[in-house]
Amino acid sequence: MLQIGIQTKNVIFDNNPEEGFELLKKSGFSCADFSLHSYLTNMSLYRFELNDFFNKSDGELEAFFKPHKKAAEVFGIKINQLHMPYPVYIPNGSKELNDYLFNVVAPKSMRICAFFDCPNIVVHGLKLARNLGSEEAEWEYTEEFLSTIAPMAKEMKITICIENIYTSIGNHIIEGPCCNARKAAERIDRFNDKYGAEVLGFCFDTGHAKLVGIDFEPFITTLGSRLKVLHIHDNDGISDLHQIPFTFTKSRENMASTDWNGFIQGLINIGYNKVLNFETSPVLTSFPEEMKSEVLKFIAKIGNYFSGKIKNNS
Amino acid sequence: MKVICELSGIIDYRRPVQGITDIKNAGFEQVAVSLNYLYKNETEFSADHQSFSEDYKSFIGKSRRENIHISVFRVPRIIYDIHQAVLFKIRQKAAVEAIKLCGEAGGQYVIVPPAFEEASGIKAWQMNRDYYLNLAKSACENNVMILIENQYKNYNGHMVRGIWSDAGEAAEWLDKLNELMGEERFGFCMNTGTCSLCGQDMHDFAASLGSRIKVVVLRDCDGHNEASMLPFTAVSRGQTQTDWLSLIRGLREICFDGGLILDIRDTVAAFSPLLRPQLLSFAKATVEYIRWQIEIEHSLKKYKSIVLFGAGNMCRNYMKCYGEKYPPLFTCDNNKELWGTNFCGLEVKPPEALRKIPSDCGIFICNIYYREIEKQLRDMGIENNIEFFNDEYMPSFHFDRLKRM
Repeated sequence: MLQIGIQTKNVIFDNNPEEGFELLKKSGFSCADFSLHSYLTNMSLYRFELNDFFNKSDGELEAFFKPHKKAAEVFGIKINQLHMPYPVYIPNGSKELNDYLFNVVAPKSMRICAFFDCPNIVVHGLKLARNLGSEEAEWEYTEEFLSTIAPMAKEMKITICIENIYTSIGNHIIEGPCCNARKAAERIDRFNDKYGAEVLGFCFDTGHAKLVGIDFEPFITTLGSRLKVLHIHDNDGISDLHQIPFTFTKSRENMASTDWNGFIQGLINIGYNKVLNFETSPVLTSFPEEMKSEVLKFIAKIGNYFSGKIKNNS
Repeated sequence: MKVICELSGIIDYRRPVQGITDIKNAGFEQVAVSLNYLYKNETEFSADHQSFSEDYKSFIGKSRRENIHISVFRVPRIIYDIHQAVLFKIRQKAAVEAIKLCGEAGGQYVIVPPAFEEASGIKAWQMNRDYYLNLAKSACENNVMILIENQYKNYNGHMVRGIWSDAGEAAEWLDKLNELMGEERFGFCMNTGTCSLCGQDMHDFAASLGSRIKVVVLRDCDGHNEASMLPFTAVSRGQTQTDWLSLIRGLREICFDGGLILDIRDTVAAFSPLLRPQLLSFAKATVEYIRWQIEIEHSLKKYKSIVLFGAGNMCRNYMKCYGEKYPPLFTCDNNKELWGTNFCGLEVKPPEALRKIPSDCGIFICNIYYREIEKQLRDMGIENNIEFFNDEYMPSFHFDRLKRM
């Protein structure tokens, strides 16, 4: 069976990380996706607001996260992936702000990832196509950013995973960076050849893919072994809701409007044997606190269902 | 670039005179015909096919008399709940008929949906290849080009990218088909509504297909529900829902010079027939605006020299994107404080300076108060050609806007 993971946001709290990791273990998870982006949120960054969290020295950051690491070890939860704060570049932000994101937040995130012995860090590509005029020009900036952390990744044996993300026109979501599997595969291969190591991989986000009409099976199949980690969640095809898979129907027949069969088949096609990781933290705030344990168990069971389907058909 | 009006929702093929008149009065000279009404359902297909076909032929004759040219035919996307083999025959018959009608009408293109649309990748290629190659024989006989079009799939109510929505894959397909034919018999029809429903980057899409794109279907929708609306009308919170910027950038980049097919059947249906003439005139103006944006450099190329009016963000954007290729002599502005200063490498002069420019020098207004400034210049007695520049769909943008503006 594949391992099942979930993001730590809304489960693991700094004042008592043991409680959260114990809850994850009891709910059926064996892995966690550490939500480092919770410490410097995109909402605040888009308002040009920085906090002082990443002003801490590496030693202070390690001391801060030591209880989290220890608790994860105690309860046998492997931190398999970590989400770097995003965005890493704000088009209309000041030079100081963007320099801070590139030169302080990103490398410190890498070191925190290494501290957790975490093999994968998820990053967002830069959203600059509108300003620069093309996706190709946008990728050049993303690659420039990746180049600043790739040597660290090689040394620390971490794979930086680029994620399919989106951008918005009005309230219509359209594809953003890394939504073309063929380009992503070619770029990952080229990048890794350059560094002589698997420093770059892919994080497939099911919710983002649904929002921009991506056909899961061919997308995953094209990525192949470059697919390292997952963000599994569901939505209504309109907003990025990060809800439980199989939740949304859009027709009178009440069949799931997300192609989970295609998702499973894609993973079967590529022989995926890594972690089935859920990015469903909003579920934990929408359900009553008293139901948190049951909700987590239910999510883990969906992971087990996926795992069974993948293993039985591989 | 041709501007083509898709007739669906506008023309009643049994009684087409009023519709043809409305289209002609709106300024359209080219139309696209869909054979949807021939294949509404299996029963109707069997019973009324002959008479419908006659209606189409009659329509072609009437259009010709009014100098309305039918340049594109569309084969309907026929979906019946019947055996695949029977459905295949119906689809093939429809395609052959459309090719024949297109040839008879002197049309250029026939948009043909796939015979097998559920497959993807190599399987889709294998299943559809022979279908298209067989149709190509008929296309050769009738001297028309077959266009394939990006499709979406409906997965339990949610739209997902279907066959040919991967532009790179579609380009490979077309090249293979044309190679097998030994000539360019196949091209691409890019459907903006389908791209929008599938959340696609239309710049990247167009750039991947390049000159293989022969026509572009312009239609708006909210990105979630199937609709064919007038461009710029699907809006939310004051913003369009379709990424027209990416489309215009993409078509400009590939120097698109094919046909722009305006498909506004849902907008037409929503308006009263009483407003149809005005609606069609406005629709024509809208598609002409899109054409003008795509061909924005054409107006710059016309002049030996140009000057700008305005020393703000629009002027700055002009200089960023076109300043090197089409350098203005200077810019001018009504703001006295700017006179004599340098802005983006241009000297800022008072409007009076326009009295001394050569007679063949074009004046490009880089300010949204276009008509007001144009009147100001005409009232000054300036007789040079005055053009409106617009920076809404620039090839690239600055990361910031000038604060003083």
